[in-house]
Amino acid sequence: MAGAVESELVSEDTSETEAVAAAAVGVAAILFALSLAALFELVTITDTVAGIPMVALLGALLILLGLGVVGFGVGSRLGYVATNPRPSAGLVAAVAFSGIWFVVGGLVASQTLGLGTIGWGGVAFVTGGLAFAVTALPREDIGSTLPAGLLAVFAGAVFVTGLIGPGWVWDLGWEQSASFNAEFTIPVITAFCSLLVSWGAAKSYGGFGARGRHVGAYLLVYLNALSIIAVLFLLVAFTVFKGLPGLFNSISFGLGVGPETTLFGFTFAWPLSWPFVMNGVALLNDVNGVLPAIAGTIWLVIGAVLFAVPLGVGAAVFITEYAEHGRFTQVVEIATNGLWSTPSIVFGLFGLAFLVPRLGNGKSLLAGMLTLGFMLLPLVVITSREAMLAVPDEYRDASAALGVTKWQTIRSIVLPAALPGIVTGIILGVGRIAGETAPILLTMAGSVAPPGSQTVDVIGGFRFISSPPFVENPELLQATSALPYQLYSLITAGVGQSSSIANIEQFRWATALILLVVVLGFYAVGIATRYYFRRKLQHE
Amino acid sequence: MTETTQSTDTDQAAESAQTSDIEMQGSGQPLEVTAGETREKTRDEWTDYEFEGDAKFAVEDLDVYYGDDHALKGVSMDIPENSVTALIGPSGCGKSTFLRCLNRMNDRIKAASVDGTVELDGEGIYQDGINLVELRKRVGMVFQSPNPFPKSIRDNISYGPRKHGDLETGFLANLLGRSDDEEVEELVERSLTQAALWDEVKDRLDDNALGLSGGQQQRLCIARALATEPDVLLMDEPASALDPIATSKIEDLVHELSEHYTVVIVTHNMQQAARISDQTAVFLTGGELVEYGDTEQVFEDPESQRVEDYISGKFG
Repeated sequence: MAGAVESELVSEDTSETEAVAAAAVGVAAILFALSLAALFELVTITDTVAGIPMVALLGALLILLGLGVVGFGVGSRLGYVATNPRPSAGLVAAVAFSGIWFVVGGLVASQTLGLGTIGWGGVAFVTGGLAFAVTALPREDIGSTLPAGLLAVFAGAVFVTGLIGPGWVWDLGWEQSASFNAEFTIPVITAFCSLLVSWGAAKSYGGFGARGRHVGAYLLVYLNALSIIAVLFLLVAFTVFKGLPGLFNSISFGLGVGPETTLFGFTFAWPLSWPFVMNGVALLNDVNGVLPAIAGTIWLVIGAVLFAVPLGVGAAVFITEYAEHGRFTQVVEIATNGLWSTPSIVFGLFGLAFLVPRLGNGKSLLAGMLTLGFMLLPLVVITSREAMLAVPDEYRDASAALGVTKWQTIRSIVLPAALPGIVTGIILGVGRIAGETAPILLTMAGSVAPPGSQTVDVIGGFRFISSPPFVENPELLQATSALPYQLYSLITAGVGQSSSIANIEQFRWATALILLVVVLGFYAVGIATRYYFRRKLQHE
Repeated sequence: MTETTQSTDTDQAAESAQTSDIEMQGSGQPLEVTAGETREKTRDEWTDYEFEGDAKFAVEDLDVYYGDDHALKGVSMDIPENSVTALIGPSGCGKSTFLRCLNRMNDRIKAASVDGTVELDGEGIYQDGINLVELRKRVGMVFQSPNPFPKSIRDNISYGPRKHGDLETGFLANLLGRSDDEEVEELVERSLTQAALWDEVKDRLDDNALGLSGGQQQRLCIARALATEPDVLLMDEPASALDPIATSKIEDLVHELSEHYTVVIVTHNMQQAARISDQTAVFLTGGELVEYGDTEQVFEDPESQRVEDYISGKFG
């Protein structure tokens, strides 16, 4: 092949130039983290670090990074650095860079220079076209470093010269008086530029070509995964941080300090007093709590699961094992998918209009359970069906060849093999319904801040009566509260401000934290169950 | 090859000219050649096989259709009991289809329809009122790829008898004192010993069967089929996914089993058929049973030219 470059089979130890590229990736990563921290106000951009203003520091780092990457690219082009570039950086990179530079050019022309539509349009097209040409036409080492590096240098220069400083505001001039301020703009620009430069630096580190692209893509994929984990972690950490003071308010340990509980006629006192989860809201409480809502949420989920899982798994068994595959199963599939996509408020309205009048004509725990059960049902059907379809037909054949009937095969082979998948579906569904507010609002919500005496006691509520159906449970037909509903009304309606809750802000965050813990607790139970069944199926 | 394809277009002149040199070789009838396979008309006497003792299966004019596809054409054969019968032939010739007709596993394929009679010990298995559970208890089956259940080795073996209600285990049986745990242990040991697997797994009967090697899994499947105490064992290429050592173990096993069981085995491997079987049935393209007889005779001196071509490796 003419012109094909042969690269070395074994690359030597890290060269100095590679170390420079690796350092650039590292600095870019630090800059990215720093800008994220600034975005979430963990770092203030008005601060000074060692006498240098934060914004200037960010700008200087950006310039340094940009120059480093551009230098690497140019050095590679001039032959000072041994790399293995392709003839062009490729169309995707070219389109991406031209888009970015189009926006940059347009913003500078219209906002900073104050040109009109024609003026900024022209400038934007010129810069975008230039970026496209610079990316697509020269060799890959120039094409993938120059546009990224120059952008970083440009952004850095804007920060260092104070064109965008801590006091900068871009008023959009809309009726709603929306504006971008420096606290948002500077971190976002920094994060974006450092991301671009780190991609260019990673490609340089890989020596461009196939290996360079691999390293560049690897970096982007990793950053993506890290930012997802970071967002999750941040969300949980934020809630925990805000919720902990309220949650552990006047908690105490010791024999007999807790409330008394009677189980099977035997009364004992808890060795732990935890007012927030053991109290309701009442005038005379020292510390108010959310016990009724916790109990309501747990009973809701249990009721919905008890209602939906047998029905859903049964339907899935019928569809996969008994029904002829054809029009009917297709219709059922479309119907379940549609049901799963139905907004929860519609389920709530159905519950209000259909279930509530039939269940004692008042909002009740049972109506809430059934409504959420209806919501859970389609997901259980879908995932159970998938799980059963994934059970190999060889198992069914082997069982049939042993003379075992279809139902026995389903019960002892298909269902156990499908169980981990079914449990996964239930976990996902419970995660959705446990935090659902709208249906509860319409079907079961009672008082916003119920006192501890209104905690539902479903087990204790069963009573035998002398007339059919011989058993009744008034607890099930009572309106009660649930955590998401309580949180919703505490935040939006301002309800409870006037009641005896002392520190409403703390109370809200603690409620949110408890809701998170309860939902994650259900998750943990589900995952443990799935792990148990999966272990049974595998040969470990 | 162009000449030969012309001859299939029923061009009489070309046919006689072109087939003259291979005429009279085997069966003494005019022959034509298509794609390496000799064309000839199958004669009934090639599939007549006289044997002493009773026939376990008597198959008469068996036709199988998959939709419009005529997969088996008028197959008739008697299978003697306590012997090994090998079914050989190229891919798609219907040998597996024939095997699956013997325990009505073809019922599980919706498009399949079966015509003709199959008698097990003189009773037609395609008549109304047949008890499929009882049929499949008597006629066990081992599949091409090992398919143990994702359960413990013990549970795999005892699965059939437990589901048939012959053995009772579990919590309630324990509580009522009806538990057959000892019988289960005996059954597991007996079946695994018969399948030559006992020594390898006796210390880990509670381990998951999927942890066994491929050859062990296949022997476990044989043991599982034997646990229901069948009269007949159908095997659909049981060694095709196994290495030579595991294959030879399975072959030895088949040989031993033939003392007490009627074994019908489908195989792709002609040497294997020659080694282990007492009689061999050759199915060829188109779903026809072409020749059936004593293994030695079929392999040494086949009556059909097509069978000879197939056995000597000219096609298939």
